Amino acid sequence: MRFLVKRLLLFAAALVGVSMLVFAALRILPGDVAVVMAGTNASASRVAELRAEFGLDRPYTVQYLDWAGGLLHGDLGMSALTGRSVAAQVGRRAAITFPLIVMSLVVALAVGLPLGCAASIARSPRLRGFLRVLAIAGGAVPALWSGLLLLLLFGRGVGLIGLFPSQGFPADGWSGDPVRAFASLILPALATGFVAAAGIMRYTRSALDDIASDGGPVDMAMACGMTRTQAMLQVGLRLATPQLVSVVGLTFASMITGVMVIENLFALPGLGALLVGDVGNRDLVAVESELFLLAAFFLILGLIVDLTHRALDPRLAAGEEE
Amino acid sequence: MAVTKPTPARRARVILDTMWSSGTGRYALVVLALWALVALVSLFWTPLPLLATDGYHVWAAPSADHWLGTDGTGADVLSWLMAGSRTNLVIAGLTVIGSAALGLLLVGLMVARSTALASVSVAVVDALISIPTVLIALLLAVPFGASAAVVVGACSIAYGLNLARVARPAALLAARSQYVESARANGAGGLRVLVQHIVPNITPVLAVQLSMSAGTSVLAEAGLTYLGVGVGAGVPSWGHSLSTSVKLINVFPLTVLWPGLVVTLVVIALNLFGDALRDAGDPVANPLLREA
Repeated sequence: MRFLVKRLLLFAAALVGVSMLVFAALRILPGDVAVVMAGTNASASRVAELRAEFGLDRPYTVQYLDWAGGLLHGDLGMSALTGRSVAAQVGRRAAITFPLIVMSLVVALAVGLPLGCAASIARSPRLRGFLRVLAIAGGAVPALWSGLLLLLLFGRGVGLIGLFPSQGFPADGWSGDPVRAFASLILPALATGFVAAAGIMRYTRSALDDIASDGGPVDMAMACGMTRTQAMLQVGLRLATPQLVSVVGLTFASMITGVMVIENLFALPGLGALLVGDVGNRDLVAVESELFLLAAFFLILGLIVDLTHRALDPRLAAGEEE
Repeated sequence: MAVTKPTPARRARVILDTMWSSGTGRYALVVLALWALVALVSLFWTPLPLLATDGYHVWAAPSADHWLGTDGTGADVLSWLMAGSRTNLVIAGLTVIGSAALGLLLVGLMVARSTALASVSVAVVDALISIPTVLIALLLAVPFGASAAVVVGACSIAYGLNLARVARPAALLAARSQYVESARANGAGGLRVLVQHIVPNITPVLAVQLSMSAGTSVLAEAGLTYLGVGVGAGVPSWGHSLSTSVKLINVFPLTVLWPGLVVTLVVIALNLFGDALRDAGDPVANPLLREA
């Protein structure tokens, strides 16, 4: 219980801290936001106009409190460029990015978990060596390249075997033709999923190896009549679960660069494209809220992972009071 | 201090020999040496000048004139790849320095004797570690524009935090040890304890994590440059070559393979390098080092 309270307080503090960091980096560092937004050859009156319009002539503390207060009410502000609400933009884009991340994670787990178990259970040095190289090589592939290779193999129009759509997302989203929408996410999800699978494979193997070399539980299970494979999969894997949950959280965070790149490569109008576009356009109001929103998402994810880890591993609660 | 200490040069020799004797270590050393060599050569010579564009051979297939073909402006792909190795070497080197500096600073704070300082820094690291590199890069890209500094900055912050978290257990063990206690009794300050007693204890972790951070900086550069927040337009880098090759996919698909292959082989080498260095540099695991 004390842990829960402490963790929640930390989460709240981190949210405030991140919002201040984002605000400071975007408002205080680049000099004058209005000049940046107005463009290089704007007149002084235009700059002043913009400054008044976005309230940039007020003190920083007032601006920050105004923005943060808006965030608390779910008001993310208006995009300076399109004039549309940032929340609506983010929501529409997230309907592509979020399914893509989840599908990538499913691919990563479906590939990485069994291979990681195999790498830990395998006895022949040759197989172990091969799986080790596979894990290292898989993690070294840039997402852009794995996407290109998949396009060359299976992309419709460019690939050897044109199985899946290679560009774009149905304009009417998921409501129009869900099957087509799903199909257009398959290659992107595979591209990021395979790369992330290598990481999951490495962590799974090292977690299982640690548990096996610790003796105890796995040896006990084998003494009770399980084969080594059974003992590793039924006892070892359960013991490794808390660690693996943490790994899934980390994978999420490390996948996001790849997801943004892959969205771009496959011309998917997701969050990555939105954010990169807004950074390029210096749409500071939008960038501010979007970066905060994404950072908050990852902080929440970290919170969920920590709490799940805790719930799955009763040893942690017992061994409290350091 | 009657025991003769091995000279650093002798130790380095033994470590290199041990790394060379394993297959993965040898691969890592060869690839990294080639990388440094190509970067050095590209300072003086590339097959064609970078800005020499061949308007008659746009999107050309590999030939005697252009070993890896040309891109959409008729620039030589191999020349750009070679020049790019320089940029990536600098980015990787600066990332290692930056993440080591930040990581060690955080480790020092996390194992500080003041419990308030230690628990606050642990909390800060725990909270910030879940923020992805790309978000930091996008944040930095607004004030600083697309530049190599954004890549270095984002990678240093992200891997510095990671390093601090991974190295903390070993550092904590050292910080609570009796030799640190006795050093403190002799009047050693915090910095002295960190450098003389804690850093040697986390060297194996440092070796692995720092060379991994170099590898990840190469991957991050590729991704960020493609997204338009990495190195600026017109600066040669592997990310630049990879992004350019994307446009080749409909014209000459096989050329797409080269930049990605280079990145992959180098990142593999950097990951293996860390493992090999840890194994060879550990006096417990490497008996040759004890005799040296």
